[in-house]
Amino acid sequence: MNRAEKLETAIPIDTSCYAAVTDAIRNEAARILSDGTVTAVVGYKAGRRAGTTMPAIVTDPEKAGDLIFSPACVNNLALYLTKAKKDVVKKGRIAIVAKGCDMRALAGLMGESQLKREEVFIIGVVCAGVKGSGAGNGEPLTTGNLARKCRECTVHTPEGADLTAGTMPSLPELTPVEAREMARLEAMTPAERWEFWKEQFSRCVRCMACRQVCPFCYCEQCLCDKNRPQAVESTPRPAGNMAWHIVRAMHLAGRCAGCAECERVCPMDIPLNLLNRKMAQEMKELYGFETGLQPVEKGPLAEYKDNDDQSFIK
Amino acid sequence: MPKMITEQNLRLLVDTLVKEGARVVGPKQAGTMTLYEPLTKGDDLVLDQLPRRSAKEAFFPVCETILSFEKKEGKTTVLDVDVCAVPETVLFGARPCDAAAPGILDAVFSWDYKDEFFLERRRRTTIIGLACTKADDACFCTAVGLSPADMKGSDLFLTPLEGGGFSCEAPTEKGERLMARYPQLFNETDNAKPLPPAEPAVEKLDLEKIKTWLDGNFESPIWNGIADRCAGCGACAFLCPACHCFDINDEGTADKGERRKHWDACGFGKFTNHASGHNPRDIQNKRYRNRIMHKFKYYDDKFGQTLCTGCGRCIRHCPVGIDIYEILDKIGSGH
Repeated sequence: MNRAEKLETAIPIDTSCYAAVTDAIRNEAARILSDGTVTAVVGYKAGRRAGTTMPAIVTDPEKAGDLIFSPACVNNLALYLTKAKKDVVKKGRIAIVAKGCDMRALAGLMGESQLKREEVFIIGVVCAGVKGSGAGNGEPLTTGNLARKCRECTVHTPEGADLTAGTMPSLPELTPVEAREMARLEAMTPAERWEFWKEQFSRCVRCMACRQVCPFCYCEQCLCDKNRPQAVESTPRPAGNMAWHIVRAMHLAGRCAGCAECERVCPMDIPLNLLNRKMAQEMKELYGFETGLQPVEKGPLAEYKDNDDQSFIK
Repeated sequence: MPKMITEQNLRLLVDTLVKEGARVVGPKQAGTMTLYEPLTKGDDLVLDQLPRRSAKEAFFPVCETILSFEKKEGKTTVLDVDVCAVPETVLFGARPCDAAAPGILDAVFSWDYKDEFFLERRRRTTIIGLACTKADDACFCTAVGLSPADMKGSDLFLTPLEGGGFSCEAPTEKGERLMARYPQLFNETDNAKPLPPAEPAVEKLDLEKIKTWLDGNFESPIWNGIADRCAGCGACAFLCPACHCFDINDEGTADKGERRKHWDACGFGKFTNHASGHNPRDIQNKRYRNRIMHKFKYYDDKFGQTLCTGCGRCIRHCPVGIDIYEILDKIGSGH
């Protein structure tokens, strides 16, 4: 299941601190826009439909009051600081509203020299979790509709932000759905796993939403868009779909910050974060490396050492 | 005398058609969602959900081969696809927003070039529409001139009745023929009342006013703020019943391959990338502007129709929460 699963009994999650977080974001945004600390604040605002939100780029301190934080603030806004979105905010220092999990993407982008710490003003927000993709817009946040990634969150309170808004409430016990799914896949034979992914990828329509929302898919020329010569079939068919998703997972190995945006936005509900997690697991086993909250200049796959193990070259 | 069909007979109709060799397509459970997929039995028909993707793929598949080629001993053979091999098809349970769309697309697919792949499927397909009795907060068919009980595009139209079953109306000859062929499955109505149609919670949009604004505001600064957060994926276009852009790619090896037609989207950065490297839609706002212009101005200019049926899929699934109704409402109300 790629949706918020209706588990046992859904217990409400205390999100009362989100109101205080919202106030803090608004006050800080108004202050830093007015005094010229930043030229824009990338945050969230309410959508037309009750209970929904969308990313918002605020440049006018008068509009700081539009910013909010709620369990519907699902996006990883780090996307808007990448060169893929360089048209959005053209110049100056930018502020960004970041949940603990989003901080990993910011650290990753800094490590890859895509972003300088001094160019960003980070408004960290305490987060008890956001909704999973199956949750109704009107529903409050519960242990039943919580996003899968939030069930295993270890960074409810961001560290290293310029300001951290809110106080973390205590959470009910959460069962890790995704880890369980990982274990289920691990227990399969390679042939069974191949079938699982073949079935998943058969639905892919190549809308590229997974790529477009990924903070690390900032290549100006994606290999998968090349047609002279064509590296990966661009048509939504089994061969090209499989190749695209393998390329995506491999290219993100050791870089993926685990925000699971690719999975959230997939209109075909393909559980892409399982691939990301598998890659992360491999990186840990092979190189003892984990993407974290500190910028790392070179991940294991971006670095060459003379004494690297080369026994795999036959 | 109007006719009705029980749910059991509707499923039996699927079974009968399948047995007779017709291609039957309808909403079917596919993993976590429903999709319009080929049905092998009536029991698979899901009647209470709007499929994740629209019904356009019954006419305009995600990907299809349009020719194949093979090189042998220096000689290249090109094989056309026989479009007449398209089987007779019955599309079951198309919601009004999905049933109306293929008819809108006839105009563009039979304009200067006749797209026989699309048109032949249209000729050979009977659409059984199904009225909606529930709407969610993204539905806006009533805002663009349709309704949850609109028969536009349907050959046979089903309206759920109180106490089960559906009343049947046949707005076209195709629909009449289908009913006439299986008289045993359709009963006289026993005056059961239809369930009230869904009521999407939106105001009607003034499409004329919106069009007039679009006519004069290609360069408006409004566009800068409208879609600067657009991520540039194709989710909206690919789920849309009316978006119909496609790309054509030759794939395979130098010796053997296929020419494939597959969905494309104006939100993609490379969509208008010229061979020279110049890209007239070089930033995302311009690409999103095209989405609105094409649906509410260009298609109207050319064919007198709006290229949107208000299904709400783009609103439900936009990764960054872009809401086309909100944008149109803003344009239509003079901001």
